[in-house]
Amino acid sequence: MSYAYLFKYIIIGDTGVGKSCLLLQFTDKRFQPVHDLTIGVEFGARMITIDGKQIKLQIWDTAGQESFRSITRSYYRGAAGALLVYDITRRDTFNHLTTWLEDARQHSNSNMVIMLIGNKSDLEARRDVKKEEGEAFAREHGLIFMETSAKTAANVEEAFINTAKEIYQKIQDGVFDINNEANGIKIGPQHSPSPSLPSSSGGGAQGSGCC
Amino acid sequence: MAFLQWRRFNFFDKEILKDTESDQVYDKLKDVNISACVSGRGQLIVGDHEGYVYLINKQLSLNMFKAYEIRVSHLYQLKQHNLLVSIGEDEQGINPLIKVWNLDKMEKGGPLCTRISRAIPNNKATPVTCLVVHENLNWMAVGFENGSVMLFKGDVTRDRHNKSRIVHETSRPVTALEFRTQGKNIFLFVVTEASVVSINISGKQDAKNTLEQFGGKLGGVVMSDHNQDNQLVVARPDAVYFYQSDSRGPCLAFEGEKLRLHWFRNYLIVVGKEDKTLPRPVQLGGQTMEMNIVTVYDIQNKFIAYSAPFPDVIDVLSEWGCVYILGGDRKIYQLQEKDTQTKLEMLFKKNNYTLAISLAKSQQYDQEGLIDIFTQYGDHLYSKGDHDGAIDQYIKTIGKLEASYVIRKFLDAQRIHNLTKYLQALHKQQQATEEHTTLLLNCYTKLKDVNKLDEFIMTKDREVDFDVETAIRVCRQAGYFEHALFLAEKHGKHEWYLRIQLEDIKQYQRALQYISKLEFSEAEKNVKRYGKVLMAEVPQETTELLKRLCTDYRPTDKPLVDQNMYDGTVGHIEKAQAENFIHIFVNNSERLTEFLEHMIRVQPNSPSLLYNSLLELYLHDIVHETDSMKKTERVRKTEELLKNPDAKYDLDQAMVLCQMNDFKVGILYLYEKAHLYQQILRYHMEHDDYVNVIETCKKFGQQDSNLWVQALSYFARKEDDCKPQLMEVLSQIDKKNLLPPLLVIQTLAHNSTATLSVVKDYIIRRLQMENDQIAEDERLIKQYREDTDKKRAQIEELKTTAKVFQASKCNICNHPLELPSVHFLCEPHSYHQHCFESYAENDSECPVCAAENRKIMDIIRAQEQSRDLHEQFHNQLQRSQDGFSVVADYFGRGVFNKVTLITDSPARQTSKSPATSRYV
Ligand SMILES: Nc1nc2c(ncn2[C@@H]2O[C@H](COP(=O)(O)OP(=O)(O)OP(=O)(O)O)[C@@H](O)[C@H]2O)c(=O)[nH]1
Ligand SMILES: [Mg+2]
Ligand SMILES: [Zn+2]
Ligand SMILES: [Zn+2]
Repeated sequence: MSYAYLFKYIIIGDTGVGKSCLLLQFTDKRFQPVHDLTIGVEFGARMITIDGKQIKLQIWDTAGQESFRSITRSYYRGAAGALLVYDITRRDTFNHLTTWLEDARQHSNSNMVIMLIGNKSDLEARRDVKKEEGEAFAREHGLIFMETSAKTAANVEEAFINTAKEIYQKIQDGVFDINNEANGIKIGPQHSPSPSLPSSSGGGAQGSGCC
Repeated sequence: MAFLQWRRFNFFDKEILKDTESDQVYDKLKDVNISACVSGRGQLIVGDHEGYVYLINKQLSLNMFKAYEIRVSHLYQLKQHNLLVSIGEDEQGINPLIKVWNLDKMEKGGPLCTRISRAIPNNKATPVTCLVVHENLNWMAVGFENGSVMLFKGDVTRDRHNKSRIVHETSRPVTALEFRTQGKNIFLFVVTEASVVSINISGKQDAKNTLEQFGGKLGGVVMSDHNQDNQLVVARPDAVYFYQSDSRGPCLAFEGEKLRLHWFRNYLIVVGKEDKTLPRPVQLGGQTMEMNIVTVYDIQNKFIAYSAPFPDVIDVLSEWGCVYILGGDRKIYQLQEKDTQTKLEMLFKKNNYTLAISLAKSQQYDQEGLIDIFTQYGDHLYSKGDHDGAIDQYIKTIGKLEASYVIRKFLDAQRIHNLTKYLQALHKQQQATEEHTTLLLNCYTKLKDVNKLDEFIMTKDREVDFDVETAIRVCRQAGYFEHALFLAEKHGKHEWYLRIQLEDIKQYQRALQYISKLEFSEAEKNVKRYGKVLMAEVPQETTELLKRLCTDYRPTDKPLVDQNMYDGTVGHIEKAQAENFIHIFVNNSERLTEFLEHMIRVQPNSPSLLYNSLLELYLHDIVHETDSMKKTERVRKTEELLKNPDAKYDLDQAMVLCQMNDFKVGILYLYEKAHLYQQILRYHMEHDDYVNVIETCKKFGQQDSNLWVQALSYFARKEDDCKPQLMEVLSQIDKKNLLPPLLVIQTLAHNSTATLSVVKDYIIRRLQMENDQIAEDERLIKQYREDTDKKRAQIEELKTTAKVFQASKCNICNHPLELPSVHFLCEPHSYHQHCFESYAENDSECPVCAAENRKIMDIIRAQEQSRDLHEQFHNQLQRSQDGFSVVADYFGRGVFNKVTLITDSPARQTSKSPATSRYV
């Protein structure tokens, strides 16, 4: 299937927070109740539409286990978006966010859009991290924030799509150099860079109202 | 430390290959110094350091041929062609030769060798490290220890027309080469110990893409199958990495040093160095052998399908549906995959249904089998109390597994939410019966889940997957009337709709509006059915509807101009019969009056029932109206109705009605209309209305003179003094000669007040008249007698004397008569014969008299026919005042005679009887 853009995402966060489940829910609309530990880095893809444009999301689901950290780090490079996930029923996963964030900032490009996700919102009874805390953390570090449930699918679409919207906006604003694949953005096969697209060199013509 | 590995199963059976004949362990490779192994076209092929190639077939018989003088170093077996490509040396030193063998052409010394060419990059002597051939037989690549890759383009099987070039050069030895075709592009993967590079070799210029800055070792690279997108798989100590032609793919962190990779079906087979914690060297021929671990990974389903130690593995091959591990002990170990059912059962035992399902799916398990797994899984989750999970599984069984099985389970457990979900799914898949719909709706209502109910019922354009009537019924029973109404309206269940509106929520107005929108026949039917209720509740609107229904009905939401009118074909206007709706008005006479008046005005030729009813209403009103103004108005209207020439009321009925309500004007009008003058008279008599008695006689005496007679006896009986009236009556009776005087006297004799003076004049005049009459009669008798005598004489004369015909002219042509001639006794008439013949209708009748004769004959004939009319006779006799004259008349007409036309006997009217004779 043809697409206008391809965005690369990574999903990071402690083991068991539900990264693979989020991906599965987003790509297959399924939930996996058993914890199948991710060993290494897995991959998923889905097409979405933003502003009438087909966008392919290529998502790298990384293992949260400490021992895989060296392997997974090598996948940070070339990601345009990151979902940083913690588990609202486990405070330690929230406490580790700073480490994850440092790691991500260090190994990825500086423009990467990071979405902070408090997952397992369906387990309200076992909540250990308040929503406000997540919001505060996100505000402090300039991240977007959302609480999701990979089980009920609540906010799952939104999490992935809002991240894409943010990236798309950054492209429109000329923040991303779309010709550099290291930024995690690729122009679709038949969508070679057209003059109407704003490049990093400056704001191009607005209102790309063509088909 | 967490358990950082996939689940482990034992899905393969291990066996050491044995010689089929001796049943001893297969050891034909015992002394072979193996340098290379391949498989793929029905045999295992091994090359050795002595230059031999060994071919082992399924029966394990071994063939060998000498391929090189010195040694074989590399072998490549094509999959789609029975071609074997080898690299080895015929001379000492570094002098690798490529040879291509056609295995289909076996000769004495071995298969046909179709090509021999040198493989020396840039004339630098360097050992070959790897070899790959493209299945299209157009590409071949050889990697060298010095880091260069030589690519051959052109027919692989021949030496000629081949072009070779160096496509890649690095400082590190090349460890693996693989081709990958992607559409029109052909990529060559080059793996060295320090990099992974893909080169697009199909373009004009080689396009190189460095995919990774670290590489893999010899043997540690393999191509995956299409399920894994034909990715290149490279083993490294920390993980196994996958590569697309343009980028790195996922990675699997299988730790440990990996010696070889092999791909079998959907499995990645990794030969790893034995874990340091298990040093168990094996003694073999005095040699110490290391143990390797062979692990079979199911990449797709993420589990380990087999794992076991093997001694110093030389290579892993696959052929005949099995995996063969060539051990350092020169034994061949066969790994046979268990069949799917066995594997599934193993998974069931561990309650690992999720895996069982994905496994079954990846093995193209059939639907039945899958359903079976879903059911088992559902049962398992249910028994664990995971109802949410269980229902998800059961939902997947819909269409196969009996729904009642699931429903009962969840009903018993009172899991309404789960049950609802299941029932919804049943509906979505069009598998729901009426009971299911009922149950689902009951679930919704029990859960008070109006949103779901809305969604189920109210969603516009939703495909209907349930029984509508059932749904209406359930909603209604549960009190969700709006839902029921919505359905009823949407699906045109008018009766349901109206019953709910009228019986449950009592929205009469809405019900009425609904009916107004229906097509005629439906509207009519429903008004008949529910009219009474509607009339009782919303009389005005109901009446209006009825008016329209009985005149020019059209559904309210229909455009005024419809297609028919465009077409010019005026649609047939349907209207209902007003009389069928009268009963609807029950006690609402006001509305009924309005309705009937409307109908009669719009359709004057309405049936009599309408007029009768209206009349009845009017009369009833007159009787019960107290306000005199209104009463007069009513009377006026009633009269108007009665006198309206168009009014089609039934006369008898109207009469009865007027009488019952004692509506004088009406009664009299109707009598008159029916020509019942006697009744009028009697009416006045009963009311002793002398003036009107006389008036009536005057008015109608013309039509019925008997009135006077009755008046006479009426007044005669009166004891009051009614002389003037009597005088009046008598004078009329006298003038019209209505009664014989004797009877008049007799009648008056009853009256005590009638004096002689009243009748004196009358009697005298009558007697005088009688005398005159007698005289006249006698004169007539005398005259008739004379006539009769005259006729008799004439007859006598005709009989006895000759008749002289003296006529000189023909009665037809008026010319002088000459012979031959014809004479008739009548007149007498004479004719020329030729004149007679041309005029006469028959030759026995006088043409001149014929017309007159015929008239008389016809009269006689008519009389004869009417002789049967006793009825008529009796009627006339009864009606007549003078019965005698009637009898005389009939008698005279021969009614009582046996009259036949042949007789000559003269009838009374035929004074001139036709006597005919003919002379020639
Ligand atoms: N209730 C609930 N459980 C969830 C949710 N997301 C994930 N889980 C469960 O959490 C466990 C871990 O989910 P995974 O997605 O495998 O976790 P992960 O983040 O990928 O873990 P690693 O692969 O080890 O990094 C599984 O048992 C899931 O069923 C959620 O939104 N709600
Ligand atoms: Mg995971
Ligand atoms: Zn005549
Ligand atoms: Zn004549």
